[in-house]
Amino acid sequence: MEKVIGIDLGTTNSCVAIVENGVPTVIPNRGGYKTTPSMVAVTEAGKRLVGHIAKRQAITNAENTVYAAKRLIGRKWNSPQVKNAVATSSYRIVQGPHADVRIVLRDKEYSVSEISAMVLQEMKLIAEDYLGESVSKAVVTVPAYFNDNQRQATKDAGEIAGLDVIRIINEPTAAALSYGYGKNAEKTIAVYDFGGGTFDISILEIGSSGVFKVVATAGDTFLGGEDVDARIIDWLVHGFKEEHGIDLRQDRMALQRLKDAAEKAKCELSSVRETEVNLPFIISSGRNEALHLQRSIDRKTLEELSSDLIERTVDICRQTLEDAHLEKGDIEEVLLVGGMTRMPKIQQAVHDFFEKEPSKGVHPDESVALGASIQGAALIDDKQEMVLLDVTPHALGIMTQGGYFEELIPQNTTVPTHRTKIFTTSRDNQTAVKIVVMQGESERAEENELLGEFILTGLRRAAKGTVEIEVTFEINADGIVSVHAKDLETGKEQSIEVTASSGLTREEIKNMMEGAKDYMVERRSTEEFEAAKQEAERIVGEIERLFPQVEQIVAASDFGRDAIEKARAIVSKARTAIGKRDVAAVKAEIEGLSRTHRMFKGVVAKTH
Amino acid sequence: MPDDKKKKGAGRPPPPPATSGHADDENDRPTVNPPFDVEAYARQASKPTASGRPGAPPPPAVPTFEPEETRSKQITLTNEVELEKAREMSAVRSEPPPPRHATPSALSMADARAPSSPNHPAVMPGPRSPTPASIEAAVLGAIGSSPAPEITERTIEDPVAEMRERFSLGDYTGALEMAELILAEEPGNLEAAECGENCRTVLENMFAARLGPLDRVPMVVVPRTQMRWLSIDHRAGFVLSLIDGSSSVEMILDVCGMPRLDALRILHELVQQKIVAFR
Repeated sequence: MEKVIGIDLGTTNSCVAIVENGVPTVIPNRGGYKTTPSMVAVTEAGKRLVGHIAKRQAITNAENTVYAAKRLIGRKWNSPQVKNAVATSSYRIVQGPHADVRIVLRDKEYSVSEISAMVLQEMKLIAEDYLGESVSKAVVTVPAYFNDNQRQATKDAGEIAGLDVIRIINEPTAAALSYGYGKNAEKTIAVYDFGGGTFDISILEIGSSGVFKVVATAGDTFLGGEDVDARIIDWLVHGFKEEHGIDLRQDRMALQRLKDAAEKAKCELSSVRETEVNLPFIISSGRNEALHLQRSIDRKTLEELSSDLIERTVDICRQTLEDAHLEKGDIEEVLLVGGMTRMPKIQQAVHDFFEKEPSKGVHPDESVALGASIQGAALIDDKQEMVLLDVTPHALGIMTQGGYFEELIPQNTTVPTHRTKIFTTSRDNQTAVKIVVMQGESERAEENELLGEFILTGLRRAAKGTVEIEVTFEINADGIVSVHAKDLETGKEQSIEVTASSGLTREEIKNMMEGAKDYMVERRSTEEFEAAKQEAERIVGEIERLFPQVEQIVAASDFGRDAIEKARAIVSKARTAIGKRDVAAVKAEIEGLSRTHRMFKGVVAKTH
Repeated sequence: MPDDKKKKGAGRPPPPPATSGHADDENDRPTVNPPFDVEAYARQASKPTASGRPGAPPPPAVPTFEPEETRSKQITLTNEVELEKAREMSAVRSEPPPPRHATPSALSMADARAPSSPNHPAVMPGPRSPTPASIEAAVLGAIGSSPAPEITERTIEDPVAEMRERFSLGDYTGALEMAELILAEEPGNLEAAECGENCRTVLENMFAARLGPLDRVPMVVVPRTQMRWLSIDHRAGFVLSLIDGSSSVEMILDVCGMPRLDALRILHELVQQKIVAFR
């Protein structure tokens, strides 16, 4: 049976999981880490770096390292989030050809889906290395607040990466799924998700019929563990400046080390009360010597440094409950998701706010990917009952007079579905109406996402409020939204089909897929060569170690000299093949090298 | 035999007079080995300079050279490997060398390495090129514990000729320094750009070869507690911080954010100083 992986495509870190023999398991990457930084960089030599290696050079090569691409995916160029990212990002963000967003790395423009595809491709590779077989299907998670365009852009990223994204599910839903897997629980839960780059709070109702209903969700896309790291960096920089009069921020190498050390100290302070930041030779004193940074930081200091950030998350929780007309007592369980929730002060803050002990039942870094893998396994297993139903992530409706939003299909409605509503004209003698189709939960139309618009003309001239227009919204099983407007008197009709758009055309996606395939072929070929090269070099080393002994033993005979010459020729051919980076030739030489090595070992063994 | 030699020498610029050295008993050379690279000289001589004149011959060897036994232990000035070693030793000196004045020992070596063209005599004292470590300082550093001899500084009047000369002598670091100096003042100088690029390639290959296969994983062998007593600069400290026992040299080069040549040089220095070793 084909395997489906679950991918948590996070803002700062990503994670991949799979259900094996009925057990959801997180797949570690080559470095043994269960999460991989969602970072992509291009080096000066044009080499692509993804994951930990990209993170390690994120500050020294800041202009060419993309982080938090998720904040931009599927967004329009003129959106406030994009403007914020343009102002705060170290990499260059430019307007794309379809009012979308593009990122410039080493003078080449990439779409955001393309960047996310590089991360997804890395996760695919991690899974393939682990499973030893090709993987083509995935369930990918997105924040609950993602609109259709953002979801489509995530799907496109999967397609570019060579993955068939069979389902997109909400992150809190995935975490809840991971929590509720096999428990058959029916309750209202809060998912407090404080990750590296974003904070989200979601209230979900877990139903027995397989519906995980997101009752309310809110968050801050620019609040995460990185802000805590920044506070530690500020503290260290300030202390160093007071001591030495040097601003470490002026040196990128120093800043890179500070960033790594701050994150490490933050993580350590979740389990110990005090830790030391020790960065020898961090900067030049300007007097031909290097200075060292050595400072202890305790948990109390970290808590003081980050108290306002934690308070902000609590404020968002309070507001979300109020908006959803829920009381703290309505929440039966609180799940902690995201690496930041390991911090004792945060656990305390959540406990104090919700007035109950947060659940330790889910892994903060892994639960989302695990939930996605559970859904993936359920989707391909006919015997297993469906764990999640497809629902509309946001309400759908139209704009009405005064700039208000009139909802036709509420959020979390299971699809396929259709709803109809009658509207009237708003002016005397109005002969045409503009139907503006929108998605969102705000009463103000301008705060929701525009999906499309069309005009219904030829209406009867009459006083306002007398001409009736029937508007029908329909969502089919593939999630395609159709909107029809009909003049009930004349029967005149207009319609529009709304398909979510990532901002990329089919042609562009196709080209990007080709590019991604080429990259994979090149990468696999490089890996194959490196493996063959290592093997060949290892045997060459062994042969060369034995050469003097063998020469001493056999050089007296013509046959021996001939054998030595042949061995030298084989080593030389292998070296030439390595020099030419010819993988086939290197592989071919390995056999000859192995034979020679065996022969040499035999000769030496006989004489001892 | 003398006739044969005459024929061989026909059409070539006259060799510089040999003034010191010991007799060479091989082949048909009745005199001593010249104290410079003959092939490099031949290349230089046959190549027109910027002014269209053939390259100037190296100056006569200074008559204060040590006898051969001593000289063999000294730094061969066209040997980039030893120059680099000298540079490393120089780099660990915490204090800059004292002001230099002409003396007949180390100075003669330094000047022999990078002679000024007789057409462009050295002027002293003068500002030096803004490079991290001068060859002279490197040589002085290599001399070790003996008090640093005083030598003079000089102004290079024709940096292009100096660059060519250093390149032809195999002093790629020196040539690169000159190329960078020229490019700083004249960014469009194609010859300097090309020479600089060639030097970088040669030096990168040299350091890479000395480090061995770049897929090897370096490890820090100095205990953390002793690290701060090492004599390295902040750039080396940064490279050291990237050595985590699992990243290969190639990975470190990718993430260090500094020019590949600088990173290779630093890694090599760390290995030489036995701060870093390979698995």
